[in-house]
Amino acid sequence: MRKRVLFGVVMVLLALGARSAQAQARVITGKVTSAQSGQPVGGATVSVLGTVIVAVSNAQGEYSLAAPEGVVNILSRSIGYKRKQVQVAADQATADIALDQDIFNLEAVVVTGQATSVEQKNLANAVTSVTAAQLNAAPTSTIEGALQGKIPGALVQLNSGAPGGGAQINLRGVSTINGNPDPVIVVDGMIISNAAIANNLNAITNAAGGGNASNQDNPVNRIADLNPADIEKIEVLKGPSAASIYGGAANSGVIVITTRRGQTGAPRFHVTQRLGEFGVLSVLKSRVFKDSVEADAVYGGSAQAYCTGSGGACPYFDNISPLWDHHPLSTETDVSVSGGNDATRYFVSGLVKRDGGIAPNTGYDKQALRVNLDQQMGTRWSISVQTQAIHSLSNRGISNNDNSGTSPYLVFPLTPSFVNLAPTGPKITDYPRNPFERSNPLQTYAFLKNSEDVWRIFANTQLKFDAISTAQHNLRFTATGGLDNFGQRNDIYSPPELYFESNDGQPGTVVLGKTQNTNVNLLGSGVYTYTPASGSLTATTSATVQYINTSLNFSNIVGRDILTGLQNVDKAANITNLTQNETPVRDVGVSLQEEVLAMNQRLLVTGGIRGDRSSRNGDVNKFFYYPKFAASYRLLGFGGPSNEIKLRAAYGQTGTQPNFGNKFSPNLTGTIDGQFGSFSGIAAGSADIKPERQTEIEAGADATLSNGRLIASLTVFNKTVTDLLLTTAPAPSSGVATRILNGGKLRDRGLEASLGYALAQRGDFNWILRTNFTMTRSKVMELPVPTFQPPLGFGTSLGTFQIEVGKSATQIVGNDSTGAVVALGDANPDFQLSLGSDLTYRNLSFSFLWDYKKGGSVINLTELLFDLFQNSKDWSKVGDSSGVRPAHLGGQQRLNEFFKGNTYPYVQDASYIKLREASLAFRLPQTTVSHLFGDRVKGATISLSGRNLIRILPTQYRGIDPEVSNFGNQPIGRNIDVAPFPPSRSFFFSIDLDF
Amino acid sequence: MKATRILIALSVLVSGACNFDIADPNNPGPIGNDPSPSQVGAAVTGIIIASRAPVGGWNLISGILGREAYRFDGSEPRFISELLHGPLDPGDGFGGGQWAGEYSAIRSSNQLIDVIGTATAYSAADQDAVRGFAETMSAYEFLMVLMARSQDSIPVAVDQPLTAAPAPFVSNDSAFGFVSGLLDAADGHLASGGTAFPAGVTLPSGFAGFDTPATFRQFNRALKAAVEVYRGSLGCGATCYTTAKTLLENGSTFVDTSATADLQAGVYFNFSTNPGDAANPLFQNPQTGENHVNPRVVDSADTNASGAIDKRVPAKVVSRPTQTTDSLTSAYGWIRYGNSNAPIPIIKNEELVLLRAEANNALGNGLLAAADVNYIRVTSGGVLPIAGLGAQTQAQILGAILHERWYSLLYEGHRWFDLRRTGRLGAFLLDRPGDQVFSTLPIPLGEVQARQP
Repeated sequence: MRKRVLFGVVMVLLALGARSAQAQARVITGKVTSAQSGQPVGGATVSVLGTVIVAVSNAQGEYSLAAPEGVVNILSRSIGYKRKQVQVAADQATADIALDQDIFNLEAVVVTGQATSVEQKNLANAVTSVTAAQLNAAPTSTIEGALQGKIPGALVQLNSGAPGGGAQINLRGVSTINGNPDPVIVVDGMIISNAAIANNLNAITNAAGGGNASNQDNPVNRIADLNPADIEKIEVLKGPSAASIYGGAANSGVIVITTRRGQTGAPRFHVTQRLGEFGVLSVLKSRVFKDSVEADAVYGGSAQAYCTGSGGACPYFDNISPLWDHHPLSTETDVSVSGGNDATRYFVSGLVKRDGGIAPNTGYDKQALRVNLDQQMGTRWSISVQTQAIHSLSNRGISNNDNSGTSPYLVFPLTPSFVNLAPTGPKITDYPRNPFERSNPLQTYAFLKNSEDVWRIFANTQLKFDAISTAQHNLRFTATGGLDNFGQRNDIYSPPELYFESNDGQPGTVVLGKTQNTNVNLLGSGVYTYTPASGSLTATTSATVQYINTSLNFSNIVGRDILTGLQNVDKAANITNLTQNETPVRDVGVSLQEEVLAMNQRLLVTGGIRGDRSSRNGDVNKFFYYPKFAASYRLLGFGGPSNEIKLRAAYGQTGTQPNFGNKFSPNLTGTIDGQFGSFSGIAAGSADIKPERQTEIEAGADATLSNGRLIASLTVFNKTVTDLLLTTAPAPSSGVATRILNGGKLRDRGLEASLGYALAQRGDFNWILRTNFTMTRSKVMELPVPTFQPPLGFGTSLGTFQIEVGKSATQIVGNDSTGAVVALGDANPDFQLSLGSDLTYRNLSFSFLWDYKKGGSVINLTELLFDLFQNSKDWSKVGDSSGVRPAHLGGQQRLNEFFKGNTYPYVQDASYIKLREASLAFRLPQTTVSHLFGDRVKGATISLSGRNLIRILPTQYRGIDPEVSNFGNQPIGRNIDVAPFPPSRSFFFSIDLDF
Repeated sequence: MKATRILIALSVLVSGACNFDIADPNNPGPIGNDPSPSQVGAAVTGIIIASRAPVGGWNLISGILGREAYRFDGSEPRFISELLHGPLDPGDGFGGGQWAGEYSAIRSSNQLIDVIGTATAYSAADQDAVRGFAETMSAYEFLMVLMARSQDSIPVAVDQPLTAAPAPFVSNDSAFGFVSGLLDAADGHLASGGTAFPAGVTLPSGFAGFDTPATFRQFNRALKAAVEVYRGSLGCGATCYTTAKTLLENGSTFVDTSATADLQAGVYFNFSTNPGDAANPLFQNPQTGENHVNPRVVDSADTNASGAIDKRVPAKVVSRPTQTTDSLTSAYGWIRYGNSNAPIPIIKNEELVLLRAEANNALGNGLLAAADVNYIRVTSGGVLPIAGLGAQTQAQILGAILHERWYSLLYEGHRWFDLRRTGRLGAFLLDRPGDQVFSTLPIPLGEVQARQP
């Protein structure tokens, strides 16, 4: 409190002395260009040092500045370029400025608060920025894919290969065991929803039983809706020391996304047209049976009818590959236009894309429209408006765990390869019945519809008021109001003729799911910056207040027994499930922060505190406070004028909001014989539940050496999580399966390093290498409850996670042959390493990005299923069985081990090396461009690019893909492989035009 | 420019203007003090729903353990690996099953029992009727747990706060005694429960004929008779058998072998596909479902004079294409539950007749026992009576009783427990080398872990 009063007093005093007028006498004009390419740089700011005079270059790079008399120093800067200071003589009227490319983003401005930012070179936290260029190096289906391998400290993994997204961005290890594992997503100052709404495929798969929506439905978390082409940059606040500014919900970090803004000048159009296709990256096949003797050993007499070749030879049909062998044309069109004048700037973009799926009836369509406006209203007021409308339609087929013989990779293990499942014609009845399991996956995919249709609108407005604007004092108030609204409709239609449909006596299933989500954000901030005339320091004081109202309404109806062709649930003979679920949440956050940049911009010291209050807490009136401190110091002059090493240290706290409903102990309800009943639930809440608290200390060094050609960054952190939201299991005889409480302690330690090196940096030849390294280790320090297994997974005999004091939070345990529960692996990778290369020679550029994950176990139940039905491809292989837990056994050997009680063959080291991106681009010479497209077109680039082109599995894992999570996004229980949708690779040919 | 004050004022305004105390919008809480008739009614119905939940799983799993059924489930191999081959895993829903669901239903009963005395809308008789109902259902759930377990680790004093130390384990025998006592207490409450269940309480149609305190007592006494026969076979001997015999002969229960007798009369759990309801989990397309009949059911059936098989078999079992999975083969599907709405019995007249036979046999009344056995054989099975059965040894007559119980109560969750409690698990024939017969499910891992320091 004392701080705030002081802040007020200082501000009032300073406000009295405010002046904004400046003497203006002459005009300086000039052109800002790129020193490397000579191309004009639009949108660059050009300012007169020591004054508030500033101009912005237009699309031709031209600027005009009203400068005071005498010799002045002007400074030009633009995103992606290093700043440049030029002295202009008293009689000089023009000054052209050539900016050097800032290949390592050293001068990028990075957020330090909800209303403040600082340059990368001063930053006291390890915040990673990803630029638009890095983001769009190769086309991506959804944005998460474009972040893989680019952020030290982040493990970005898809949950399956199904089109339309569904991925987890995990920052700095384990931040919670039962809370939200996903980072807060902030777009232009507004927190948006990253909810994952299950589609209730469970009504078909029965994976979780009960017919209601389940986390095994392979849901998409809605960050997938963002359009990568609109994004100017992404800043990743990885741990609490940086994320503390977002306080009580930022346990898993924060991803701050800034969209592109208009640039002054005549309208500039950018058009990208892409054509390409997706293809399956890997397929898991089944066993080849030699003859009827071999087949009879598994199938008894029932194989006789098939293996009728000479000597009882079995025919071979590959039923698996054809399912994933579709290559429809995929297209993407991005159009944007940007322009404006000193008062008004606009950026408008549109996207139309269609990603064809690798299986029939799958794919992902998206259309998006964005309008960003900036309007200056006089000298003190400005307003910014961002609106985006997005429509996405994903068709995701059927995959993941089931209990109904419907998910393809749960059908194939039972289906011997001597059976032919190929259709004889296009009709649903032309598909042969599968004599060995309840469905024919080829028929299922050809006729089952599973679509997710999302309409989403983001709209937010920022009103800025510069109360004071002088060389020494700046006081700005900003009010932001924003809305994130989406409606998601899920339709599943399973026609009665599908062979599995008759099993429940109710042929035909229709599911209608409707979800409405509204996030309302209100954010008010005041930022006061004081720079004494001496210029020796800059002190920034900021205060914010934020209110968020979130309302997520989910409803789902399942109808069974329906006439062919009818798809409305009300036409079904039986409505078997009706679900409505409401999730209203209200949060308030307040923050106060002081940031001092001193000693000639060499020392940065920051301190702040954030308070949060949430309707999810047991005590809804209580504010929980999260402090932060950070400092950095730049050591200059290591063998070169622009060489420096920055030392930094930061401390901060964040919270994990209790999950909605943690404070309730709900009864369950149901009906029997038409009567309503209410009975004890099995999950007991806690009326005094409170947030988890993460406390992190981070320290590191950032070096810029070889005169800016080499940058190196090293960060270590130690994070502890206390007051964990734990689900303890009371004795089951209490009648309750789980009880929520706060307690325990968890620790993460990690090391992040990144290195960038410009191998060559000449006018026409540039070659930059980038590498990132990440290593984290978690350890459960204290538990107020006994060792427990999170309620995911399938029991110790099939491998499961186990939370145990002294052990990694992500350890995987299983049984051994004595029935004992033993540690068999850890989902957390040993380390991650990525290597990217950007090479430009004249008009040609070539880039690639390799992503290596070493270690990290996957529970491969898909393989177990193939083994159990003696149908694995390597069934007869005799692998080296020496040593403890041999890693390369054949199928029969694995199953023998499993029958001895051993789980180990199926907990597998899932290291991978993936070529995430590769792109070859050619910028057409201007003469060719003019010749081809006319003079209006100012630039054209053609490129060939691909994503996930190569995958190497160097160790034990033999499954479909190690990026897998049967239960979707999870803080702990990822890496459970049960019949996932296979991954795909994509190739695109693109042409980019600027005019 | 008093920015701070503005901010503070704004924050107060913002947080003050909104109500943060949001009640659970999705679910009711536990029943509280002074419940209204409709709340009591919902709790009564809720207890039946909660008690119904584990029944399908028990009938299937005990059916597999008791060599009545197989489940060839591509997604879930443990039905035929863990349950037939072992080891039973106390950490999963197979080895560690038949516990949590039953205790959860018991918790629902206890929640109602704990507050029913405060219901001002009810007379003392009304309260007793509800109390007697809840205690009877609670006793039935304890019995379900005991049917799956032979070891001495059954908590009974479970009506306590969640933060309390777990209820102590008691011996299997005392747990049976506790169930018997609880049924008696319930019977006393039902006896003083007036002529009808109070306003708000309507039992589902599966309880038709047992839906007043007086008729519900017949159900209570039938359960008591079963418990006493089970206790008799588990070591209590003549005392318990005598109690059972008395109950089954003095008109306390609904046992009936008269000319108009309906062997299927009894108390059932209803199922349906209506929203919020549960479909019968044991109903599947008999030709394509994962659940199969263990062929020994058909192989061991008796035939009548004309060579036709015991008619209980074709009523419950149907031929289907042969399927072999993991060296197990079956050519039969289940039609015991003919559709999604088919009810599952809790206890029925046919069982009471055989319980009476078992009590009589154990007490040396072989002729009486034989009469009941042969009555079932003829009436229910359409096969010839066993001549001279009453003169056979007690062990032989018990064998005949168990055979009839097998076919009369097929797929109803009795076979494994029957052979276990009578010490005849050795009679089960194994399908594969390495398969084994289990005598009990282990105590669930969670129950053990909750007691570790």
